[in-house]
Amino acid sequence: MKRWLVVGLALGLGASLAQGVVLRALMEDVPETRIIEALLPEFERATGIRVEFEKVQYGAMHDKLVAQFLTPENAYDFLQVDFLWAGEFPAAGWLEPLESYVKASGFDLSVYYPSMLDLVGYYQGKLYMIPMYNYAMGLIYRKDLLERKDLKDRFQAQYKRPLALPRTLEEYVELSLFMAKNAGVSGAAMQGQRGDPNFMEFSNYLFAAGGDYVDRNWRVTLNSPQGEKALSLYARNIREAAPKGALNFNLDDTFRVMCQGQAFSMVTYWWMLPQLDDAKQCPKVAGKVALAPMPGGAGVNGGWGWAIPKNSRNKEAAWRFISWVESKEIVKKRALMGHAPTRKDAFQDPEVLRKYPYYRQAEAIIAKAKKVPIFAYTAEMEDVVGREISLAAAGRKAVKQALQDAAKGLEGLLRKAGLLR
Amino acid sequence: MGQRGVGWLLALPGLAVLGGVVGLPLLYALFLSLTGYSFLRPSYDWVGPARYQEAFRDPYFLHALGLTALYVAVTVGLTLVLALVLAVLLQQNLPWKGFHYFVVSLPMLIAPVGVGLIWKMILHPELGILSYLFGKVDFFGDARYALFSLALVDVWQQVSFAALVLLAGLRSLPKEPLEAAYVDGATPWQAFLRVTLPLLRPVLVVLLILQTLAEVRTYDLVYVLTRGGPGSATDLVSYYIYRKAFLGLDLSGASAMGYLLLLLTLALVAAYYRLLTRG
Repeated sequence: MKRWLVVGLALGLGASLAQGVVLRALMEDVPETRIIEALLPEFERATGIRVEFEKVQYGAMHDKLVAQFLTPENAYDFLQVDFLWAGEFPAAGWLEPLESYVKASGFDLSVYYPSMLDLVGYYQGKLYMIPMYNYAMGLIYRKDLLERKDLKDRFQAQYKRPLALPRTLEEYVELSLFMAKNAGVSGAAMQGQRGDPNFMEFSNYLFAAGGDYVDRNWRVTLNSPQGEKALSLYARNIREAAPKGALNFNLDDTFRVMCQGQAFSMVTYWWMLPQLDDAKQCPKVAGKVALAPMPGGAGVNGGWGWAIPKNSRNKEAAWRFISWVESKEIVKKRALMGHAPTRKDAFQDPEVLRKYPYYRQAEAIIAKAKKVPIFAYTAEMEDVVGREISLAAAGRKAVKQALQDAAKGLEGLLRKAGLLR
Repeated sequence: MGQRGVGWLLALPGLAVLGGVVGLPLLYALFLSLTGYSFLRPSYDWVGPARYQEAFRDPYFLHALGLTALYVAVTVGLTLVLALVLAVLLQQNLPWKGFHYFVVSLPMLIAPVGVGLIWKMILHPELGILSYLFGKVDFFGDARYALFSLALVDVWQQVSFAALVLLAGLRSLPKEPLEAAYVDGATPWQAFLRVTLPLLRPVLVVLLILQTLAEVRTYDLVYVLTRGGPGSATDLVSYYIYRKAFLGLDLSGASAMGYLLLLLTLALVAAYYRLLTRG
């Protein structure tokens, strides 16, 4: 009798497990995650698969994920991969290649911008991720200051050209210095904190000046005339036109300064625009801010991708979720709720554009955006190069020497990763 | 079973737990530090002392060690002096004694990350209350001040614990030597210097050891306030080792550096200990 009871229980348990697959994922604790969470019941109704999100701060994600990759069975069935890890995770063999899933389910990759697939799709020719979210960088500036009569006159007198959006990096820094001297605000709210903040910010200057970190064969090209121009202008801007303390500012600090109306511009992620343009959150600048591509052309690309860990227990179900959440219909729903899309059709959808007109600028920014080197040691690269940028910006090291040391550090990391001999 | 045997038996569960959660990880880290293990290539290929030699050749690691030595000296010194002053004050018959105790012990009750975030806003050069009251000072963005700003925040929190320990020490001192000193005509200052302080020495040395250990491991405040910058002005060694492991994915190199730090700390504690037992 007792034995039958145990068998019965076990059978019942087994049946209930097979019927209700539960997928677990580690997600960043941001509004976008809550938007997707709100749509999850739809997925469960359609497939019977329940999805649970474990939401944590960005800073805690990487270490948690790495710990799970090293166990035989991952606690997470799928994940979101920041582009900074999009080299490390595949290089370590932690992600499941997705080509066969794409083929089997007829998933359409052509809806994504090539720059996005390049960033959070392929790694060394193999597909490991599906683009989920974009945060390319551009320039956010104060329209009202560009239109002020006294500033216009003074600028014209000083530079013999009308006050307008800058077209090159030099013009931008010039304008920033001008605003700092004449408009009673800082020229640029800069995120000079060493590491990810200043690395990301400086990379825009580097790309805008026509420089780059590496060439196609991973040879380091950072230490170039363009690099020198970029770092000199960056150091000048942060010393003469940025708010006090900018050398220790992160994204939150720059946002607060800009939100308080204390700066003319910031080089930042394009999704910051709706945050600043929000009359409840930033009454001092709402309606006065606009978005433009980085002066000089390309800004830095950033984004998240969906991926399935190699040691996931439910790969098929995880793929069903990814192809559902990235389907045209759901991406549009997400977009209308405020989740930045990565699919072209969502960016060009009239209904989405009516609600978010600045997606036009965002689309231009994404299409042109360039990526920083993504490889196994991208996080350490940010640390090493960020240190040198910070030393140069603080005036503790000459620009030339800092560039040389940054290039040397980057070369060492590329060699360690086996990309350079 | 003799008394000794019973003693061991009673200590056994505790020792086993300690061995499990402290001993084993320490041994594992020692083993790792002699291999080339990294998160990207998790294989235990033996390299001998190579990772240690590398650490000694890493100028930024040496810089972090030197910076940490300065930081420990400043924070521990300031903490002990301030805590001693506070403890002596608290020992007097002040009105509102309970309230003062409460205020002094408050910083100790806040998590270091919370302390960091609170001070980050107070010291914010553009939006902080201090800048509003006294004009803008760039506490963390200026490489000349950043380390000392960090030290001040740290001391603010540490003083609380140190003062309470010293107060307990003062309370437990025998009264007779002091009374004898006063009978012999000592001024309060002389009595404090010649009688109270020497009697307090064991407590002071224990506190010195505890505070040094706490400060060598400073990581949370750096993480919250400066991330080691500007440049490498606040790149303390614990934060450096953390980055070696989790940004560089180099667990063996980080273990080697961790062991070097452990040895240095042990030597320091041994020196303090001699101070305690001497005389």
